[in-house]
Amino acid sequence: MGPLALSFAAPIALVGLVALPAIYLLLRVSPPRPREIVFPPVRLLFDLLRREETPARTPLWLLLLRLAIAACAIFAMAGPTLAPTASTPFSRAPLLLAIDDGWPAAPDFDRRIEAARTLALEAARNGAAVAVLPMSEADSEPVLDDGGKIDERLRALAPKPYIPDRAAAAARLASFVAAHKGARVVWIGDGLEQGGAHAFADALVAAKNAGADVRILADSRIARALVAPSNRAGALEVEAIRAASDAASSGRVSAFDAQGRVIAQAPFSFDGDNRATARFDLPIELRNDVVLLRLEGEPSAGAVALLDGRSKVRRVAVLSGTSVDLAQPLLAPQYYLAKAFAPFAEVRIPKPGIAEPLLGLVADHPDMIALADIGVVPGEELDALTRFVEEGGVLLRFAGPRLANGADELTPVRLRRNGRVLGGAMSWDSPKTLAPFESGSPFFGLPAPEEVTVTRQVLAEPEPGLPAKTWATLTDGTPLVTAERRGKGLIVLFHVSADATWSDLPISGLFVDMLRRIAAESGASAAHREAGGAAPDTALAPLVALDGRGVMRPPPPMARPIPGDFDGPADRDHPPGFYGPADAPVALQSLRPGDELRRLDYSTLGLPVSTLEGDAPIDLRPALLALVFLGLLADWAILLARAGAFRVGAATAVVLLLALIGVAAPRAEAKDAPKAAAALSQRDRDAALVSRLAYVVTGDARVDETSRLGLEALSRALSQRTSYTPGQPVGVDPARDELAFYPMLYWPIVATAALPSSQAMSKVGLYLKQGGTIVFDTRDALVAHPDGPPTAETKWLRELTRNLDIPELEVVPRDHVITKTFYLLDGFYGRTVNGKTWVEALPPERKDDPGRPVRATDSVSPVVITSNDLAGAWAAGPDGRPLYTLTPGGARQRELAIRGGVNLVMYTLTGNYKSDQVHVRDLLERLGQ
Amino acid sequence: MAPAVVTRALEPGARLAASARAIDAADLAGRLPDIVIRAREVAASVVHGAHGRRRAGMGENFWQFRPFGAGEPAHRIDWRRSARDDRLFVREREWEAAHSYFLWMDCSPSMAFVSSLALEPKLDRALTLGLALADVLMRGGERVGLAGLTHAMSTRDIIERLAQALASAGESARAELPPAAPLPAGAKVLLFSDFLCDPAELADRLGRIAANGAAGALLMIADPVEESFPFEGETLFLDTDSRATLRAGRAQAWREAYAERLARHRDEIVRAAAGARFSLHLHRTDRPAAEAALTLSFALASGLERV
Repeated sequence: MGPLALSFAAPIALVGLVALPAIYLLLRVSPPRPREIVFPPVRLLFDLLRREETPARTPLWLLLLRLAIAACAIFAMAGPTLAPTASTPFSRAPLLLAIDDGWPAAPDFDRRIEAARTLALEAARNGAAVAVLPMSEADSEPVLDDGGKIDERLRALAPKPYIPDRAAAAARLASFVAAHKGARVVWIGDGLEQGGAHAFADALVAAKNAGADVRILADSRIARALVAPSNRAGALEVEAIRAASDAASSGRVSAFDAQGRVIAQAPFSFDGDNRATARFDLPIELRNDVVLLRLEGEPSAGAVALLDGRSKVRRVAVLSGTSVDLAQPLLAPQYYLAKAFAPFAEVRIPKPGIAEPLLGLVADHPDMIALADIGVVPGEELDALTRFVEEGGVLLRFAGPRLANGADELTPVRLRRNGRVLGGAMSWDSPKTLAPFESGSPFFGLPAPEEVTVTRQVLAEPEPGLPAKTWATLTDGTPLVTAERRGKGLIVLFHVSADATWSDLPISGLFVDMLRRIAAESGASAAHREAGGAAPDTALAPLVALDGRGVMRPPPPMARPIPGDFDGPADRDHPPGFYGPADAPVALQSLRPGDELRRLDYSTLGLPVSTLEGDAPIDLRPALLALVFLGLLADWAILLARAGAFRVGAATAVVLLLALIGVAAPRAEAKDAPKAAAALSQRDRDAALVSRLAYVVTGDARVDETSRLGLEALSRALSQRTSYTPGQPVGVDPARDELAFYPMLYWPIVATAALPSSQAMSKVGLYLKQGGTIVFDTRDALVAHPDGPPTAETKWLRELTRNLDIPELEVVPRDHVITKTFYLLDGFYGRTVNGKTWVEALPPERKDDPGRPVRATDSVSPVVITSNDLAGAWAAGPDGRPLYTLTPGGARQRELAIRGGVNLVMYTLTGNYKSDQVHVRDLLERLGQ
Repeated sequence: MAPAVVTRALEPGARLAASARAIDAADLAGRLPDIVIRAREVAASVVHGAHGRRRAGMGENFWQFRPFGAGEPAHRIDWRRSARDDRLFVREREWEAAHSYFLWMDCSPSMAFVSSLALEPKLDRALTLGLALADVLMRGGERVGLAGLTHAMSTRDIIERLAQALASAGESARAELPPAAPLPAGAKVLLFSDFLCDPAELADRLGRIAANGAAGALLMIADPVEESFPFEGETLFLDTDSRATLRAGRAQAWREAYAERLARHRDEIVRAAAGARFSLHLHRTDRPAAEAALTLSFALASGLERV
């Protein structure tokens, strides 16, 4: 960093400094105001001290402090900024400005040019000549010139939409340094390794060794780019890449349509990686409208991804002649087709059982119809299909037994049929493999793997023009894929079946690539191929091109057509953009899908490196204002101390408080984080550690107390009689408390209580879904009449469960597992015995196993509804004596009530385990044999 | 670290106005009812009685029997006592004499002062004590009046009467020194003030009061800050009775000298009082009023002269 230059945003405020002497005078004569004390014996003091105290003078140092505060305030108002100036030593040596002007430099190109102009101006002032060497124009010798022309030259530079190769520039650099001894060289680099940056850096080191004064101006801002846009069946995806992890870690990608309107935006985040995916979940029609993706805040050609017709998602309808074999999908052709189309197309398969399914398919306006082994296409369907093809559709057909026997016009070639070949298909002694794809075929470039074998195929009649229609052949020259243009459309025939019976092709990766190429043939591009001769070596003229900043422009004059199979990367002659006819353009990306951005490490070069950011001026205002504040604070403290009222405690408190404010302000937002973790209350912690019974608090104190005492008594019985030792029962509020910890909720119904809120009910619903069980107790068995109107409690329960997903219920059957989980019971008794208990209905008894002694559902019944007031029967006082009388009464009924409770709890804990347990004797007998 | 002391004169605005240096009469009248009530409470708390003179004399209470001397009137013989043995006895009664008490409460501006350490203004304290003692004395059978304002009277509503007289008193009652008029012989004077006046003048005035043989007592009422001088730092002291101010650069440096000066002043006051055979009692407004009332009533009971 060079020397610093002080500048002021509002120099006029400095006029205020004139007022400083006045402030000085004012401060000097006006003493601090003393405390006034009314004091009657003051006359005694008069007698006491005749020495007249002069008004205290402000001491000089305090005066100076205050003047300094005032001066600081005035300076702060003037808005001072400290700007470092990139200075160069005074030198008349010629200066060479090597400027990276590829797209990675585009986002801050203006700053680079500004830095270059500053350097050039400075050199011109020193009388040195300057030459400019943009990397993209290294094929011409850099010319030394004076300041004005160089400035013009620099202003005219624009970023290029590709990464120029720096090899030529390195050569120019070497010759320049050789020609001008002691020349100064400044490289304004983009920080990326791409484009031979290493070679150029080596040339710089060599130049330095040759005596040149070499410097590097680099930008710490590293370019990001978009690669590999892919419009898949599910979503439109594009990958964002960056060179180094210190580049921005997240961003947004915007999708534009052909008219330049934003269709959607998608975020992405690198998460420490250097590659991230942005995903657009859009309807297929919208996705197909996207032609351009742009990384927001990154105005460069590399941050733009283009989408052409090839990346449109096709809608493919698949129809098979064999629609009955759906039960075994691996035997159905449409399974393979759907799988193969899935990565890049939307597949539609008509439901089986529709009459004339082809008509429905055509009416859907798919881009492609794939017919797997449908031989005969009768009258109306034939017309529809013909029209579909004539209007530009692609008809993809696969052979099979039906096609081999049938005869229709919608094949690219005439097939041998009518029994001339035995069975319509040939058998082979040894399976044939694929021949490499010829250059005229759309499949050209795809590998022809050895492992793909063909065992059966339909044969084409030898006829003139057959080789032109053939896209793929077997090693013996017989056609495997043939195609024919009809109208605007295309008919493609695979001479094998779409399932794996005739060949391995449908289960190979090649199949997917072939289908993708065929899909790309559909639509407008197909028309273009027809017009342009469909040859991949046909040159495509540039249509529109991206400039270096990623803006669509007419192609530059030096742009040359690309060959049909050109796949990048873009270079000087082939700028990124759209090529070919306007109705079916082909996109050329700046970067290829697998490309990475690599950062060039300057530090290993041993050359002086400075950053463009060094230019950022330092704003002195905050520091000055802080000084003013501190000065005022000090002044205040001094005043207090001098007035004798300064107390260490209070002052310390104030200083601490201020320090706290300063420290705490930036951390204020960080405080929320532990709050979420603290949401787990002590109660939840306890509930999670010790399993326990719970009841729902109704708000009726007597009912709640009964529930608590009842569950306590039941818990005691469980601890005594079973291996389950529950903790202390708790009352829960579904609206407030987490329910997940409790295996069973006892919910006594109080008709007068308010219905829980919908949020509470959704929590209850979630609890039931997670496997919880709620025992609803309407406690109305005494008042309910079997055929009478529902009681208030029943109505309340119905209202409550209206929004709950509750399965069909039935009265507990004798053989339900709930009656056998611990005790063998006939029913569930509480204070009354006549109420029915309802649980989730069992599946009907299986006919093949009528003697099964116990039945159960797969899971625990989510609800148990009773009306017998169970808790009332369980409840006991502290002395163990029951609280409520029973109807009809007796110790036996109370014991049965407890047993019912034990069974209920065991049922919720063990599920249908006991229904297996009843077979244990049979199982042991079988094992014994 | 003592809390900062706050002091105030009761009429801060009036300090600068020459005409209003004295206490606003209306203000005093407004506070009098409270003072009257407090005075009653204080009076009730002082155990009192008809304080006998503890010597034989005119009175109703028995004092002693003494042998009948020859030549005495025969009606003095107490026959009931004499019947018990052969000698004749005379029943002597305690000498009871109703005295005239004159009270003077200093109402000068320096009295209208209170600091945050005091319970109430010095003036209120002086009035409370004065009225309470008037009540105590009246119940003791004495006659009480305000020096220079009323004659001595004995009436059950002595407090109200005196308070009314105070409230309706003019500027003359705001003097810093008690009225100079001589009081009748045997009269007693009770002076309530802070005695921040010139001791020489006070001595002169007391001499005049006592010219005819009146005796009395001085109650010096002081605000606690006037003794402790708890001020620190740069302070501007404002007088209450004049517009004088005093700036102290570091008030704490004055503390010792002030204490010394105050002690000297009090000595002079004591000497002035002693010169007139008056006793002096000190009372601080951070102490309860009943304390001073009790001290004074004891002093009265034992005879002011002997204090």
